[in-house]
Amino acid sequence: MASEAVAAFAPTDRRRRVKANLLVICAAIALILALIPLVAVFGYVFVNGIRSMLSLDFLIQDPPADLSATGGGVRNALVGTLEMTGLATLIAVPIALGMAVFAVEVGGRLAQAARFLIDVLAGLPSIVVGIFIYTSVVVTQGHFSGLAGSLALAIVMLPVVTVSAEEILRLTPRPIAEGARALGLTRWRAIMSVFVPVGLSGIITGILLGVSRAIGETAPLIFTSLGNNFFTLDLNQPMQALPLLIYRNALNSAFDAARDRAFGAALLLILIVLGFNLAGRWLTARRRLAGSSR
Amino acid sequence: MTDLVGSPETTEAVDRIGLRRRRWTGDLTFRGVLAALAVGTTLILGFMMVGSFVTAAPVYQKFGIIGFLTGTKWEPSFTIYGAWPFIYGTVLTSLLALLIAVPISVLIALLLTDLAPARLRGPLGVAVDLLAAVPSVVYGLWGLLVLVPVMRPFEQGVAGTLGKVVPFLGPPTPGPSYFAAAVILAVMTVPIISAVTREVFASTPRLQREAVLALGGTRWDVARTVTIPIGRAGLLAAIVLGLGRAIGETIAVTLVVGNSNNIGTSIFAPGFTLASVIANEFNEATETLHPEALIALGTVLLVISVLVNAGAITIRDRFTGGLRSGF
Repeated sequence: MASEAVAAFAPTDRRRRVKANLLVICAAIALILALIPLVAVFGYVFVNGIRSMLSLDFLIQDPPADLSATGGGVRNALVGTLEMTGLATLIAVPIALGMAVFAVEVGGRLAQAARFLIDVLAGLPSIVVGIFIYTSVVVTQGHFSGLAGSLALAIVMLPVVTVSAEEILRLTPRPIAEGARALGLTRWRAIMSVFVPVGLSGIITGILLGVSRAIGETAPLIFTSLGNNFFTLDLNQPMQALPLLIYRNALNSAFDAARDRAFGAALLLILIVLGFNLAGRWLTARRRLAGSSR
Repeated sequence: MTDLVGSPETTEAVDRIGLRRRRWTGDLTFRGVLAALAVGTTLILGFMMVGSFVTAAPVYQKFGIIGFLTGTKWEPSFTIYGAWPFIYGTVLTSLLALLIAVPISVLIALLLTDLAPARLRGPLGVAVDLLAAVPSVVYGLWGLLVLVPVMRPFEQGVAGTLGKVVPFLGPPTPGPSYFAAAVILAVMTVPIISAVTREVFASTPRLQREAVLALGGTRWDVARTVTIPIGRAGLLAAIVLGLGRAIGETIAVTLVVGNSNNIGTSIFAPGFTLASVIANEFNEATETLHPEALIALGTVLLVISVLVNAGAITIRDRFTGGLRSGF
C-alpha cells in the first residue's frame, strides 16, 4: 500500500507540478465563473432598483392599477410578505422543533419514518407544495387566500428548520447530555432545560434560514395567495407578496414602469432575505467561536 | 438487610421511585405529544398528496397514464393533453445544467478544501453560499433582462457554425430557450452541489491527505489519490441532490425558457418544463380539464422528484453516515 503510494509519486518531474498548478488555475476560474453571476445579479439589481428604493413612497404606497403606469409603491406586497411569512413561521417552528426532538431523542421506527418524511419534503419542489395547498385548502375554501399562502410557506420552511434543529440536537456535547440524565432529569426535562438552551443559537439560525427561504418563494404562492393589487391585512383575502409582484412586473417588463418596479421590489426582497440569511450565519459563526474558545 | 424494611432510607427510596413513576408519566405524555405531532404531520401531507392525485384523476382516466405521459401534444383548446414536451424540457434543462454545474462545483469544493489559502476559504465559501440565498424570481428577472440578451450572440454563433452539422445546436435562436434555462439552473445549483461536495471532501481523512503531501505529492496528487476517490459517493449524492433542485425549480425557468408547447429539436429553441408550464398557465386555465391537466403535470413532477431525492437519500445514508447538510 505504502510502496504503491510512493511509486505513484516517484517521478518528481515538472509535469506533475504543472498539473497541480493547472488544477489550481482551473479551480480559480471555476470560482470566478460562479461568482460572476453573484456580482452581476447584485450589481444589476442594485443599480436598477436603488432609484425606486430611494423614495419613501415606494414603501408606503400601493402600486397603480395599471402595471405600465409610473408611480406608486409596493406597500401591499411588503406587508403581505411579512404577514404571510410571519404566520408561516408561527405554524412551522413548533412543528419543526417537535419533529426534530422526536427524530433525535425518541428514536425508533416511527422516528425514522419522520426523518424520511422530512427528507422527502426537503426535496419537494415548492410548486408541488403550492398544488397540495391548492387542492386541499383553496378548493375547499372556494377562494385564494393569504391563509393558504401562509400554509404553503410553512410547509416550505418546515424541513429547513427541522433539519438544522436536528443537527443542533445531535451536536449537543455528550458529557452535557449524559450529565443531565445522570442528575435524574427525565428526557423531556433534559431536552427543555439542557438541550434547547445549549442549542438555542443554532435553532434560531435554522429558523432564520427557513424564513429567508420562505420569503423568496414565488411558485407556491401562485396557487394559494394568488396576489392582489390592493392592500389587505385580511388573511381570508387573496394577498400580494414581493416575489409575486416581481414576477408579474417581470412578465410585463416591456413597460419601463413595470421594469423599474420589479427591480425596486427585487432590491427590497434581496435586502430582506440577505438580512435574515446573514443574521443566521453571524449567529453560527459566533457559536463556533464560543465553542472553540471553551 | 431486614432492618432496612420500613427504615427512613427505604421510605425515601420508595418515594423516589414513586416520583420517578410520575416523571415517567411526564415522559410518556411528552413522547405521546411528539408522536402525535409526527404522525399528524405525516397524515396531513399524505392526505394532500393523495388529494392532488384525486384532482388529477379525470385526466389520467381520459388519456391513460401512459397515454398522458407520452402524449406529445398539449392543446387546451382541443382538450388534448400530453405531458411529453414538458418531461423532455425538464430532463433536458436539468441535465444540461448539471453538465455545466458539476465540474465547476467540484473544482470550487477542491479549491475551498485543499487549494486556497486557509485565510480565504471562509469568506469565499460564504460568497458561494450567498448564491443560494438569492430568490428564484430575482434570478429570473436578471436572466430575462440581462443573461438572455447577452447570450444571444453566442447562441447565434454556435447555431450558425456547429448548428449546421448538429441539429441539436441549430437555429432558431430567439433568446429565451432550454439553454438559457439550463444556464440559470446551473447558477442556482452550483452553491448546492459545491456546499455538499465541500463537506464531503472536508470529511476525508486529514492524515491521508497530509501523508500524500509528506510523500512529496502535489495538491493535484492529493485530490487525485485521496479527496476525490474517498469522496466519490458523497459527490454522487451531491449531484443527485442538485438534480432534484434543478427539476423542481420554477419561476426563474419560467421567465427564461421561452414558453412553447412544442418539443424544440435544438437546445436554443424555446420550450417549457413541467414546473414552468404549470406556473405559466395555471391562472389562465379556463378550458375543459385544463387545471386538472396542470395538476396532473404536478403529480408527474412530484413522482420524479421523490424518486430522485429518495436516490440521493439512499446514496447519502449508505456512504456518508447520514450527513444531512445542504438540504
